[in-house]
Amino acid sequence: MLRYLLGEIFGKGRRAMLKPNDVAPDFEVQDQDGKTVRLSDFRGHRVVLWFYPKADTPG
Amino acid sequence: MILGISFDSVAENKAFGEKFQYPFRLLSDPDRKVGLAYKAAETATDRYAKRFTYVIGPDGKIEQAIDTKDPAGQAATLLPSV
Repeated sequence: MLRYLLGEIFGKGRRAMLKPNDVAPDFEVQDQDGKTVRLSDFRGHRVVLWFYPKADTPG
Repeated sequence: MILGISFDSVAENKAFGEKFQYPFRLLSDPDRKVGLAYKAAETATDRYAKRFTYVIGPDGKIEQAIDTKDPAGQAATLLPSV
């Protein structure tokens, strides 16, 4: 229980994620203008891929 | 380059981006394929993406994997990266 609470409070790095040096899986999706976006389009550039829970909610 | 991504539709993301005038692209992953690949979803029916952020290097490999429930902290962490 204590471990759980500490995990909730400090909750970084406890959930399963891809790890540094893993190959980032390529994808093909649409942006908000309906344009196709592939991760591979940005090869040679640094990309921040930010998952957010729901459009137009706080935080 | 900053790419936001959620399970919302293209139309929902368009409204979201226009409302807040976000200067970055908002990607739509309605079937959770990307979410599953990046572990931000556990199943194809998860309602919401986990608040995960990845910094992907020019070589296509993950540089940083950040799990946070604190968007302000997330921004502070990421600013040096971009």
